Amino acid sequence: MKNTIKVERAKKDWTQADLAEKIGVSRQTVNSIETGKFIPSTLLALKMANVFGTSVEAIFQLESTD
Amino acid sequence: MSKSKQVSKNSNVPYAILWALTYIICLLLLKKTSLPPALGLFLALLPIATFALFIVKFSQEVASMDELAIRIYLEAAVIAFALCLLLMMTLGLLDLVIVLKKEDWSYRHLVAYLAIFYFIGLFIAKRKYN
Repeated sequence: MKNTIKVERAKKDWTQADLAEKIGVSRQTVNSIETGKFIPSTLLALKMANVFGTSVEAIFQLESTD
Repeated sequence: MSKSKQVSKNSNVPYAILWALTYIICLLLLKKTSLPPALGLFLALLPIATFALFIVKFSQEVASMDELAIRIYLEAAVIAFALCLLLMMTLGLLDLVIVLKKEDWSYRHLVAYLAIFYFIGLFIAKRKYN
């Protein structure tokens, strides 16, 4: 699964720590999601989409290998 | 931030230290001194109370963690359990062919191995997501 979290963060000029604080997780968790090492729950994905003001589908996309 | 985040990080550490100290003190007293059976039994069971307290606090802290941290602790427990199973299986089979000295392979020694396995599991799981 690929994601556009880094792009969305850049648009808002947020650091990983800023995003982590807004969605109530640690910076390590944001980093692991952003680098694709950890797939978040639906709840966390929705929270992320909410703070970015976009949809979950816009942030997370399935790849052919998924 | 959700309400469950109110438990402070590492709040279980004092309880872990209390449990470890209780265990070590009871172990030393039981090993080094000759006590009446009733007192010996009391000391042998005393660490259960501090361990229960530690587990309650640890569970509360884990419940307040974010989902990645919970995943890391869960994977650590899975790795530790698998290693424990491997150790028990191997010792069980070895016990059939060689004499395992009680001074080296008692339940007391196994406890230390189980703790080490948990920290190995934690190290592996943390590395996986960093």
